[in-house]
Amino acid sequence: MGKLISNPKLLLAAVVAVAILLISFLGGAVGAAFGLGFLGGPIPLIQLPAEYITEIGSYQLMNTFVMFWLAILVIIILVFLATRNMKEVPGRWQNLFEAFFEFFINLAEAAAGGRRGRMFLPVVTAIFLGVLFSNWLGTLPGVNNIGRIETVEEFMEIKLKKEFNAEGHGKLAKDVKKMGFAKFMETHGEDEHVEEVLRTFFSEHGQDLFVIFSGDSGVGFINLGRGEQWKVRLNQVVALPSNFDDHDAVDTFIHQVEVPRILEGVQPDEEQEWTATDVEEGRVGLLVPFFRGASTDLNTTLAIAIFAMVSVQFWGFRTLGFSGYAGKFIFNPIKDPIGAFVGLLELIGEGIKVISFTFRLFGNMFAGEILLIAMGFLLPLIGIIPFLGLELFVGVIQAAIFSVLTLIFGSLAIIAHGHGDHDEEHGAEQAH
Amino acid sequence: MEALGINVPGLLTQLISFTILVIVLYFFLYGPITRMLDQRAERIKSSLEAADRARTEAASSAEAVEKEMANARTEGQRLIAEAQDAARRAGEQIEQRSRQQADEIIARAEAEIAQQRDSAIEELRREFAGLAVLAAERVVERELDTARHQELIDSVLEEGLSNRQN
Repeated sequence: MGKLISNPKLLLAAVVAVAILLISFLGGAVGAAFGLGFLGGPIPLIQLPAEYITEIGSYQLMNTFVMFWLAILVIIILVFLATRNMKEVPGRWQNLFEAFFEFFINLAEAAAGGRRGRMFLPVVTAIFLGVLFSNWLGTLPGVNNIGRIETVEEFMEIKLKKEFNAEGHGKLAKDVKKMGFAKFMETHGEDEHVEEVLRTFFSEHGQDLFVIFSGDSGVGFINLGRGEQWKVRLNQVVALPSNFDDHDAVDTFIHQVEVPRILEGVQPDEEQEWTATDVEEGRVGLLVPFFRGASTDLNTTLAIAIFAMVSVQFWGFRTLGFSGYAGKFIFNPIKDPIGAFVGLLELIGEGIKVISFTFRLFGNMFAGEILLIAMGFLLPLIGIIPFLGLELFVGVIQAAIFSVLTLIFGSLAIIAHGHGDHDEEHGAEQAH
Repeated sequence: MEALGINVPGLLTQLISFTILVIVLYFFLYGPITRMLDQRAERIKSSLEAADRARTEAASSAEAVEKEMANARTEGQRLIAEAQDAARRAGEQIEQRSRQQADEIIARAEAEIAQQRDSAIEELRREFAGLAVLAAERVVERELDTARHQELIDSVLEEGLSNRQN
């Protein structure tokens, strides 16, 4: 302590650190509770499914696909750097990849016993690299906070279309898509299916948070500053036809909700209908990020998991032959009822592995993403720094777990069934 | 499934993407890297073997040199011994010969001396005899007393001796 006071540089650093911490703390979510929160951003809508950037026909281009392709591109560039000019005395990138391969070769040969372990390598190393870069690119700045603004109308269109489709009203779904939400409500507002769907929809989504983005730009980003109070709920911005107010669901709508004080210039009286576009100098909507960590989408993790487990089955069949590998799971239930039951369980286990793979990676990376967002709000500017390190670490760990588990499952799959009595029978047959 | 965001087009997209990644990595990473690693392992192995061979060769040649040296040393020693032997023998021979020669010379000299002495004695005897005869003649000629005899003999002897001494 004495050293700290006597050294002016250290003292200054300590004061600056404390000041930054204080500013960060007061500017963040905690400060917002006391009317400060000057560094708070609008809370993004956190949802499990990936957001789509654009629609090509009926195909939705998701932000996670973009990140996955970006990850693949980065891997290919690195691979190109490493292998375009292979030398006996390796260069930097070549050395890195060689060390990486050597690690996996040793692991595979130890797990599978000898050179046949090498057949796992192409898939296992691809899984490692793919997962690693998906995870790491997800921590880049700009991911999750630069994107397109999805207006409330657009949001409602998509949601209603989905709901109608799910309920089996294909025509209504098409109409929503074609007309847009406002027009649709004018023409179909009295339709009882529509009312039904809207009621359930608002009871579920009425409290969803939306953000007022300043300006009318189509591209936005979640910025730090003045954001915390710049959010409204869905039921505060969606206007409904006046004849809709007969229903109970109306309780959750604009008429009964206290008008948010931040909607300056927008003071709807009881009878006035208004829509999101009426908000002055702003645009109410959701931020649809252009980039979202590829492994925070279940499609990605499920795809890799399926690829991994299909590869495992392939290795099993290739090494043991069809009957050899299938014989690990299928037994004659009359001769060997316990074996048949255990085989069935093992068969189910193979499927379960896909699910555990999928959700292990997804859960870790999705939680990490939310952790980063949460820290960004709790301690803006600085809170994220240690957790970025943590996320990089988790990214490697998850990649290693995914790839090494695939390797282990693969090496288990190529082991012939070790039923002692079967072997004895075979031995006895051969002896006779 | 819808709430989780899993859908068929998305799943297919990611499956195809990942499959492409696996294929690209198989051809552009797995192939070259394992080839390079194997090549290097092979090379290290062969150079280790070469080094081993070189070492054993060096060891065997060192052994050969050692043997050669040992041979040379024994050969040298043998030669030295032989030379010493020969020298000793030669020396002995020379010594023996020179001793023999010396003996011969001595013998010859002794013989010569003896011969000369004999001849000198002979000569003396002959001279003494002549002197004696001479002395006797003189004695007889004069017939003088004994003292004269003696005087004569002495003078003769003295004469003879001094002659001889000259």
